[in-house]
Order: sequence, then C-alpha cells, then structure tokens
Amino acid sequence: MNNIFAVASIVIKELYRRKDFYVLFILTALICLVMATVNIFNDKHIIRYLKEICLLLIWVASLVIAISTTARQIPAERENRTLLPLLAKPLSRTQLILGKFFGCWIACGLALICFYGFFGALSGSREHLWPLMNYMQAAFLHWIMLGVVVAGVLLGSLVFAAPSSNSTISFVVVAGILLVGRHLDKVALTMQEPSRSIVYSVYYAIPHLELFDLRDLIIHNWPLVPWKIFSLAILYALAYATALLIATCVMFRRKAVN
Amino acid sequence: MARDFEPFESAMSAILKTEKLRVEFSSREFRQATKVALTGLDLEVNAGEIFGFLGPNGAGKTTTMNVLLGFVPPTSGAAYLFGIDVRQPIARQRIGYLPELTYYYKFLTAEELLRFYAKIFSLAPGETDKRIDQLLKLVELEHARKRPIKSYSKGMQQRVGLAQALINNPDLLILDEPTSGLDPLGRMKVREIIQRLKNEGKTVFFSSHELGEVETVCDRVAIIHQGELKAVGRVNEITGKHASLEKAFLEIIGYPTPSTP
Amino acid sequence: MRSARPSYLLLTALLVLCFGLAAYLGTWFQNWQGSRTQSADVLNTLLGDSRRMFANHFYTKADAYYHSGYYPTIFDNRNNFETPHMAEDTGAVNSKNHGEEEGFLGPPRDWIDAFSRNFFPDRHTHLDEGGPTEDLSTSTDVREILPWLKLSTELDPDNVQTYTVTAYWLRIRMHKDKEAEAVLREGLRNNPHSYDILYELGRLYDESYHDTSRARNVWELAVRYWLKLPPDEQKENTLVFEQITTHIGHLEETAGNLAQALNWFEAAQKVSLTPGELQKRIDEIKAKMADQSQLVVPKSVY
Repeated sequence: MNNIFAVASIVIKELYRRKDFYVLFILTALICLVMATVNIFNDKHIIRYLKEICLLLIWVASLVIAISTTARQIPAERENRTLLPLLAKPLSRTQLILGKFFGCWIACGLALICFYGFFGALSGSREHLWPLMNYMQAAFLHWIMLGVVVAGVLLGSLVFAAPSSNSTISFVVVAGILLVGRHLDKVALTMQEPSRSIVYSVYYAIPHLELFDLRDLIIHNWPLVPWKIFSLAILYALAYATALLIATCVMFRRKAVN
Repeated sequence: MARDFEPFESAMSAILKTEKLRVEFSSREFRQATKVALTGLDLEVNAGEIFGFLGPNGAGKTTTMNVLLGFVPPTSGAAYLFGIDVRQPIARQRIGYLPELTYYYKFLTAEELLRFYAKIFSLAPGETDKRIDQLLKLVELEHARKRPIKSYSKGMQQRVGLAQALINNPDLLILDEPTSGLDPLGRMKVREIIQRLKNEGKTVFFSSHELGEVETVCDRVAIIHQGELKAVGRVNEITGKHASLEKAFLEIIGYPTPSTP
Repeated sequence: MRSARPSYLLLTALLVLCFGLAAYLGTWFQNWQGSRTQSADVLNTLLGDSRRMFANHFYTKADAYYHSGYYPTIFDNRNNFETPHMAEDTGAVNSKNHGEEEGFLGPPRDWIDAFSRNFFPDRHTHLDEGGPTEDLSTSTDVREILPWLKLSTELDPDNVQTYTVTAYWLRIRMHKDKEAEAVLREGLRNNPHSYDILYELGRLYDESYHDTSRARNVWELAVRYWLKLPPDEQKENTLVFEQITTHIGHLEETAGNLAQALNWFEAAQKVSLTPGELQKRIDEIKAKMADQSQLVVPKSVY
C-alpha cells in the first residue's frame, strides 16, 4: 500500500501543479457567473437553467480532467523514461498501475470537491435551499463513475500508443455511453438480426455510466435516490473498475518495458 | 565463445549473475524474422568491483540491463541479483539504477523526487531527510534542491538521476551510459562519484562507449557483440599486447584496424 | 551576420497589404445584402439563420422543465406527445394529445432499464402544480421555464406560439404584467399580423389592466387579421377565432351591448367544436334582450 500511495501522491501533485484544472475551474466559474447576470424578465429567483449549465460544465470538465490526466500517465512515463528508474525499484507493475489509478481517481475527487463546492454556493445563493445530502449523493456517484472512466482509460493507455488517440477514443466512448447507453436496447429492437444481437450484447457489456448522472434530479429538486439503490450503483461501478484494472495489470505485466 | 582470462578474485561472491541468458524479440511486422538480442549470455559480477560492460551499438548491453532489472523477460536462461531471480521485485531492493537519457518528473523539485523514491524503499522519515541531504551534497545540487527539475541543465538532471539511484544506499549500482551527453567537467564529476562509491565498497556495473573512461575506473570489463559475450576479464588482460583498450576492443569485435597484425 | 532589414521590410509590406485589403473588402462586405454584421442581434451575427434549428430544441426544453425533467427522449415513444403540456395548459393552442402521452417509458424492459429509472425523474408532474415536491405553495416554480422560452424567442422570432406561451405564464402565474406586455409587443414587432399575439395582448389589457376599450380594439384587429387568412388556414385555426370572438362577446355583454354580444357569440358558434355551449349563452342573451325590449343590430364584422 505504501508504494501504491507513493505513486498516487505524485499523480495528485501533477494535477495541482499543472494549469489544466485551474483553467477549467475558472472557465466554469466565469461562464456560470456571466450566465447568472443575465436578466430574465426581472426575476432573480430563476435558478434551474443556471444549475443545468453549471452541472453540464462540471461534467465536461471532470471528464476532460479524468481522461486527459489518466491517458498521459503511462505514455509519459515511457516517453520520458521515468518508468525505468521507477520499475528498477522494488515496485511491482501491479502496484504502479494501482498507484496511477488511485492517483488519478483521488485527483478527480479533489477537483470535484472544488467544482461541487462552487455549484453549491452558486445555487444556494440564488435558491436559498441547501439540499446537502442530494449534492453529496450526486457528487459521490459522479466520482464513482469517474473511477470506471479512469480504469478504462488506463487500460486504453496500454492498448493505444499515443495519449491523444487514447484520449479521443475514450472521450467518444464515454460520451456515447452517457448519451445513448440507456437506449441501446430500444435501438436494438428496431434492427434486424444479426445487428440486433450485436447491439444487445453491447448494451449488456458496457458500463452504464448514465446511472451515475443525477443532474436532472438535482436541477429539478427531486428527492434523494434510495440508499439501497445508491449502494448497488456503487457496487456496480466498483465491479467494472476492478475488472478493467485486472485487465490492465495483466496486460502491463506481459508488456516489455524498453 | 568468450575468451577466458584469469578469474578476478575468485574468492569474491557473485552478486550479479546470468546463466545462458537468451532474449528474442518477435517482430510485429508480418513475415519479419524474430530478432535475437542475446544468445546464451553467462556473466558474473563480484561484490566490490567496478565492472564495465562494453559493446558497439545494438550489441545487447541495454537488453542485458533490461533483463537484470526485470523490464524484459528472458526467452530462456536466468538472471539473479544477490541470488534472487530478477523477476521478483524484492531482487531490486538493494540495487540502484541510472538509465541513459532520462527526463525526471518536471513538476517536482530534486528534493521531492528523492523523497518519492525513498518512500518506495520504505525509508524512515528521519533517515530519508538525512539521506537526501547527503546525496544532494554528493551530486552538488544542494543549491538547487527546491527548484523544479524542469529548470535544470542536462548535467544537473544526470546528477539528480545518480542521486535517485543511490537513495537506498545500494550495494549494486547499474549505470547505463552514465556520462552520455555530458561535458568534460560533468563526466569528470560522475567518474569521481563512481570512484568514491568503489571506495565505499559498492559494486558498480556500467555500460559505456567511453573506453578511456572505462580503462580509468574499471576493475574488470566484458565485451559483448551481436548478443554474444566476446571477452571478459581484467582491463590489463584484455588490453594485452595492444596499445590501448580501444584497439583491443576493435579487434575483439572483428573490426579491422591498421595496427592489427 | 545577416541583416534583419529585408525581413522587416517584408513584414511591413504584408501588414500594409492586409490593412489595405481589410479596408477595401470591409465596405463591400457591409453593403452585401446577406451580411450578418448588419444585425444588432448577437445570436443572429453568430449563428445566422441556423439559429432557428436551436429554437425548437429550447422550446422543447422549456416543456421538459415544465415536467421537472420527466420527458421523452428521441428514443422513447413520443407518438402520443404531440402538443407540449406547457402550451396546452395555457388554453391557447388546439391540443392534439389524447391523454396517453405520459406512459412514454412503458414497463421496464430489463433489469438495467428498471434499475436506471431510479436515477432520473420517473414521475409525471407539472411545475404549475408544485413539481416533484407536490407543494402547491411553490407553484411559482413555473418561472423556471422562462429562460428557455426567452432563448427560443430570440433564436426564432417568427414562432408566434413561443411569445404567447411566455406571456401567459408571466402574466397568470408570475403576475409580471409589464414583462408579459413587453414580450407580446416584441412578438408583434416581429409578426405584425399575428392574431394569436393580439388575442393574448387583449387578454392582458382586459384581465390584468382592466382596460376594456384597448382590449376590444386589439381583439377586433385580431379578428380582421384572422379573416384575411385563406379559407383552408382559417379551418385550421378556428379555436383562436372562437376564443377571440367569445371574449369580445363577453366584453360587450358586460358593457350592456347585448345585440353586439349576440352577434359575436353567433360568429363564434359558426366555428365552434362545442356549439351547444355557446347556444346556451346566446339563448341567455336573447332572453335578456327580450326583457329589455331593446334590439339593435350591430354592424356586421364580416
């Protein structure tokens, strides 16, 4: 565990010393604050459009941070050859992968705390409502979902040689799942065999990341997701993240580092 | 077949050993032949010696080091560090490694980088601080300890690399082209550090193209060519009747020189 | 050492060329008929006519907000969801819904579908009834649809329904009469012959400002515009005609002009889908007129 967290601490340091996070955070805050100044029929209590814009920006920013940070980890270690002195130490490849995973995941969590803190302050200041449990539930499920994304992108960084191709493919896949993942079964129904079976297989095989998107519930002040369902969703994500991490470790252990 | 010279201090124990080490790389290209990088390499490095590992480009020096460090699995044969199979991470507990041309984490300072590597060796916090002070003094980077590595010159980065290789106070140091790309002053400083390590009783296994440098600091050398060990022994034995190690090296790898009889 | 002078000269020459071309082409561009730069509207300048594509999206989004996010996607069964409830509830549009539109999700198809329904709104509610909280005291939540309606009007200024729906919710639920009037006047500027907007404006004058004479004038103008429609378009828009004429009839009845009121109700009855209801009103007025023994034939509106 000591080695894993040593590697993770370097990834976290990298996040807060690079400009990416600050740029995305300032951009999100700036857009939201500008949108908040728009006069809509002299009504200062209108808030849901602002909540929607803010949450959309947070989701985009978090995916950009998670994917871009994770995609460059292993390729950058190889390109700068820092992987060699690292693996020449008593650090196993599994520990390195787990360290990278936890580093990226925790870094995303820290970024989410800042983003959701801003969101809470913005919505609370206009709405005068503080549904903290709802916000925490949304932020936590968002973070759990990013765990699956980080594990997937880490696997992608071993499959695709260039971080840019890995980032692009990962972003398209994640956005695709979030937008149409829930509807693939309906799409399959409109198809002929064998396309129908293929789409059905994809529907059951993909991690349904859209389950972790509570934006509509938060924007429209719906009640909390039942805690039992909430726990099951976490288990579902952890199962996927673990499977992806095992595949990554197996692949990395077989890979020659030279 | 390797030329056999007198065994050097045979009483010494081998802390680095390879047995019939063979490494093949299968090509990803269609119908491309498998490339043999090492053909049954047998090598022993004893405790306390400075061992030079020589060979032209593509001879298999880096591949040998990669196998010793567990980066590349051997196709057949075995390699041991301190008697432990190199495939086990614990085999690397007592070694230090300096790769050729490495760019360390640019967003870290030298002190943070050393602290990170110290954590991997599970050094105690007090011991870590003491060790970092010693090493930064040794590689003359005390003044730049709080500066990010991205602001370092190439020579300074190489010295940070040497410091990270020594963080665990290793018994065996594996250096891949440690003076590559350095100016004469930088090369001299690295040579001095290697000499100091020998005086402290450390074992150093290093590859280099600088034959003059090898002649100066090494106790024993091995010459490898096309994946095959061509010669191993003490520097003066290998040089033999030749005017210099360079001339002997060229003859051993079969390169015709005017001085060759 | 090479002199840097040729590079500077080349750079200066290129800059002169760029500024010269910009000055020459700028005038030509400003005079060009289709130039977006002539528009004072930022969205028009940025998006051109393509902005209308987005207008419908935001109009639908307003209706999704009206349902607190419970809304069919393009993958769901939307066959029965023909008229947005947000517009239907204003009473200003002819609804084509049959009451089957709420079940667009259908029963869960598999465990993923069943599980996922816990993570998005899965209940049909309306914001003017309090939304998901079902608290009627917070029914001003309907204000939340307004940003999307405002955006929709700006993106497609020719869509009359957006103005009338916006004005209705501003006036009825938010009690923002001035803002509602401004929206309708903006709609009239962009659609000067819109009887729908004039009808809504008349309601505002009558119900909010209690200015019956202005309301009457506006509604009569609306009737005149409606009558100028080709016959087939008139057939498609009978609801608004019935509403306008009924309102004028009611106005005249209240003012004591029973003969005129009768005439308006009879005009409404000709296009009404429920003529029986209007017949009752007509009979009542006739009874009143008989009582007063006063029969004045108003000038025909035809």
